[in-house]
Amino acid sequence: MNGQKPIPLKTQDNQHYWDMADQHELALQKCNDCGKYAHPPGPSCVHCGSTNLTWESLGNNIEATIYSYIISYRPFLPGFQDDLPLIIAQAELKQIPEIKLMCNLLRCNPENVQIGMPVKMIWDDITEDRALPQWVPQEV
Amino acid sequence: MGKIKDRYAIVGVGESERSRNSGTTPLHMALDAARAALNDAGLEAKDIDGFMNYNENDSCTSHQLATYLGVRPKYVKDIQGGGSSTEMLIGDAIGLIEARMLNTVLIFRSMNGSSGQRVGRGYDPDMLQSALPGGSYIIPYGSASPSQWFGMFATRHMYETGITKEHLGHVCLSFYEHAQRNPKAFLHGKPLTMEKYLETPDISYPFNIHDSCVELDEANAIIVTSAERANDCKSKPVYIMGMEARQCHPNAHYWADLNQVASDYVGENLFQSAGVKPEDMQVASIYDCFSWVVLRQLEAYGLAPKGEVGEFVADGNLRMDGKLPTNTAGGMLSEGYTHGMNNVLEIVRQLRHEYKGAERQVKDCEIGICTGWSGPDIAGAMILRN
Ligand SMILES: [Zn+2]
Repeated sequence: MNGQKPIPLKTQDNQHYWDMADQHELALQKCNDCGKYAHPPGPSCVHCGSTNLTWESLGNNIEATIYSYIISYRPFLPGFQDDLPLIIAQAELKQIPEIKLMCNLLRCNPENVQIGMPVKMIWDDITEDRALPQWVPQEV
Repeated sequence: MGKIKDRYAIVGVGESERSRNSGTTPLHMALDAARAALNDAGLEAKDIDGFMNYNENDSCTSHQLATYLGVRPKYVKDIQGGGSSTEMLIGDAIGLIEARMLNTVLIFRSMNGSSGQRVGRGYDPDMLQSALPGGSYIIPYGSASPSQWFGMFATRHMYETGITKEHLGHVCLSFYEHAQRNPKAFLHGKPLTMEKYLETPDISYPFNIHDSCVELDEANAIIVTSAERANDCKSKPVYIMGMEARQCHPNAHYWADLNQVASDYVGENLFQSAGVKPEDMQVASIYDCFSWVVLRQLEAYGLAPKGEVGEFVADGNLRMDGKLPTNTAGGMLSEGYTHGMNNVLEIVRQLRHEYKGAERQVKDCEIGICTGWSGPDIAGAMILRN
């Protein structure tokens, strides 16, 4: 059923994020005027409205701690029937704590997930040329 | 909005049948609701010169409704919206009446929320990624239901404030208890106990089925006019003391900043415009798409002491004999779900003392608060009095 999962749609505003993800790297949108980051990225800065934006590459060694999570026991989209229960988690980036990045938390028993838990980013190759960032516990 | 205090009133409320499968169209239901509201106000369709509606592309238009009521009003308007749209359209109506463009406005919400397009089941993934802001960051992770978006905010807030699953349960229990006194509530005859609540498996932690609103087919309508015109209506007017709205959190579905909640910015101006305080509220309609949303708004509007919101509901304060009887028809958790409008209908009826002599009447209530919550991104609220 994996093949039916939705593949991230590249758009005018998010293209660089997903291009970098496909190369197993994390890139975040940053405002040159107010210095703040924004995620998800957009056409201008959500903090000040500036169009003076840049992309900052954070590499591929991304550590974070779980900020919040949910555990879904039902699939709400096709392709997730075999992934239940599914943990969806926001994690606070160690490098940039104001950014909370949402992925699935893989390789973790739902009973063990908790806020504050250390995780790291991996990139799941979902097609030949596309990759999806995911969280896994740092212990694994 | 201090200048308009008590100068506008809700003079008519009405609803269609409520069911899992209406077997009819939103237009038919909207006509039923509009006729009920007109009858309630003692007005005729030709007395309405503005028709307004909010929808998620799941309704008939205001133009259609007016047309099949057999009238040709001055003004029709349809907006995309949900939580807090009722309050904002009432604000729009007041503005247009104040500008002397219109005299009397009917606002409606009609949806086959169960048999038609259903929010809680999720949507078509391809449509969603392009239609939802930030969709590419949500949908590929299997997150397509409001229960998952609201849950993400709830888990963190519960962690920070010590709100427990039992506290969520108390919100559900209080509203289900109200529903048992309301024969028209969808879950009338289906009382809930804490034991049963806690036994119910989660659909999406931290929420089980009881924490989520009942998705149904239903239409509601409200008529707003000036206080002068209200005197000529059949019904007892319920006056609008104050209103306030706010846009906030930078994303409508990707919620990651707990410090940016629109409702937090509404309360102060709301109470100031009405010239009253949170403790003056005697009855409440709090937007309740999910149980947790009620707790977060009690905190935002200062209706319960910050940090003690869980205890406030556990002490039974949302119940009929509590400090703030809330969603007294059962709310969206157990009466029906029209993105908030059914809760407005109920508070209007409470403030009119329409249930006088019955167990479900909040005794001698004179002032109440009605809140809308789309998410942390949009909120609107109003204070009403009899
Ligand atoms: Zn900026």
